[in-house]
Amino acid sequence: MIMDLQKQANLYRKELFEKFVELGQGHPGSTFSMLDIVTTLYHGDHFNFDEDKVIISKGHATVALYPILKHFGIIPNDDWDNWGKNKNTCLRIFGNISIPGIDMTSGSLGHGVGVGAGMAIANPRSHIYTIISEGELYEGSTWEALLFVAHHQIKNMTILIDVNNLIILGRTDDCLRLNSIKDKLSGFEFDLSVIDGHNTDAIKEALNETAYRPKIIIANTIKGKGFSLMENKPEWHYMQAITPEQIEQCRKEINRVTA
Amino acid sequence: VLQRDAFIEQIKNRLETDKDIYFLSADFGAAALDSLREKYPENFIHCGISEQAMIDVATGLALQGKKVFCYAMAPFISLRAIEQIKCGPSMMNLPVAIMSVGIGIGYADAGPTHYITEDFACMRSIINLNMYTVSDASSSRRLANKLLNNPELCYVRFDRHEQPELPVTSRYENLDYRLMGDVVDDTKVLLIGSGKMAHTINDVCKKVDAAVGVELIQAKPFPNKLLDLMDACSGIIVVDEQTPCGSLGAAVLEAMSESNIYKKTKILTLPEEYLFENGGREYLLNKHGLSRDNIIKMLNKYF
Repeated sequence: MIMDLQKQANLYRKELFEKFVELGQGHPGSTFSMLDIVTTLYHGDHFNFDEDKVIISKGHATVALYPILKHFGIIPNDDWDNWGKNKNTCLRIFGNISIPGIDMTSGSLGHGVGVGAGMAIANPRSHIYTIISEGELYEGSTWEALLFVAHHQIKNMTILIDVNNLIILGRTDDCLRLNSIKDKLSGFEFDLSVIDGHNTDAIKEALNETAYRPKIIIANTIKGKGFSLMENKPEWHYMQAITPEQIEQCRKEINRVTA
Repeated sequence: VLQRDAFIEQIKNRLETDKDIYFLSADFGAAALDSLREKYPENFIHCGISEQAMIDVATGLALQGKKVFCYAMAPFISLRAIEQIKCGPSMMNLPVAIMSVGIGIGYADAGPTHYITEDFACMRSIINLNMYTVSDASSSRRLANKLLNNPELCYVRFDRHEQPELPVTSRYENLDYRLMGDVVDDTKVLLIGSGKMAHTINDVCKKVDAAVGVELIQAKPFPNKLLDLMDACSGIIVVDEQTPCGSLGAAVLEAMSESNIYKKTKILTLPEEYLFENGGREYLLNKHGLSRDNIIKMLNKYF
């Protein structure tokens, strides 16, 4: 049976929402913006669990992987259930390599492209998927690493840029302009594509597309996608105090797309 | 032979049988490196003048089980890339050897952007990282082989210039410290230093019977055996080609405190200022008291 990836992503959204409420902390905005991407990535037929690696360079959103890794039996159910209730869990807000299925300890921005490049060189049989936020394009080390990937034409690597247009203090266009990201990257020797980062068909197509150079997928997304309370609201970078009425509203919205 | 050449030569030799070794450079060279990259181009990676990306790439290689050596000028591979070192090989405890050339004021004439008088303090604070300073080509060669046999996260400090060979003593085999002098007892003052300062200390020991020199090769973890000597001596002078904060003197005092050893201790370092004055390394070391004669003067004055 062909999985409805859009629905599956929303089921993960639902699980994560409840967990964020339970934890009272975390980074829902960034997690929900990239959730359709990672759902499509892990459930896609191109992904090889034995060889391939996923680097969540925007480490504050690593939690997006936890329900997926739980689904595939990599993260034990107990760890998920205990998270937020007691200390008997390996899960944390920021991912680290002691968590099953997490390939890099991350949290500090600007490391993922370089680390991914090193992993790709070390194991040409594997494919390395590195997900960065567009905010990481403010880090010089990201550009250093992009030069490196382009020069060495590391083809067993795909860089996905989650472009949700928001950083903590507001819109990137207002804080320090990044756009046009595509124009800036087009001077490098990459195979570039720009997609709707919430359209699982488009994500799948971009991932499957044959690349003759290292691939960069610029995914336009909405921060906090799936919940009107959070969508495009910079403050929801962090979990906020939430009223019972707001929780109900969020549940209604997510139930509508997961029923 | 330059210390860096001696070290790289060993890596090149090992590459003949071990293709899991990767040598990364941020556009810093050496005669031995020319030979290595010509013979093993697949195992040499030029990272551009990008120390931060170099450490991230090294982290990725090490995560996949490779043995990685990163190489650049001391100020840039240490302070510029320190957050990459923290979040990468340190936090994930990966075997990356960070080769740092030009410690102290080896690049005195180039000025404070190119010399480094803070790397000891900064890099010693990195968790899971072992720290070594070599003083001659022989110890550099031996250290390379130790790290090739047992890769670990480490920061290896090399002098810019060729230095003469220090006397070979029994302790030297261990690559933790080298004793330069006779038995240590309560009539002796222990002089502790590393790198170029170990040579200055050796010169002092040749002139002063009451002095016993220690070349501290492995500053982290601090060698336990050395604590016995520190406990047995009458006092300690630490000589370090760094600025005062967090220098070798701090490491010695921390070790003493941890082991409840309380000895009169004098720490000689460079001043806490940037040195723009011309005259060269020897002139500046002499001016700021890191000379044989000033160490003897301090020894006579305080001990």
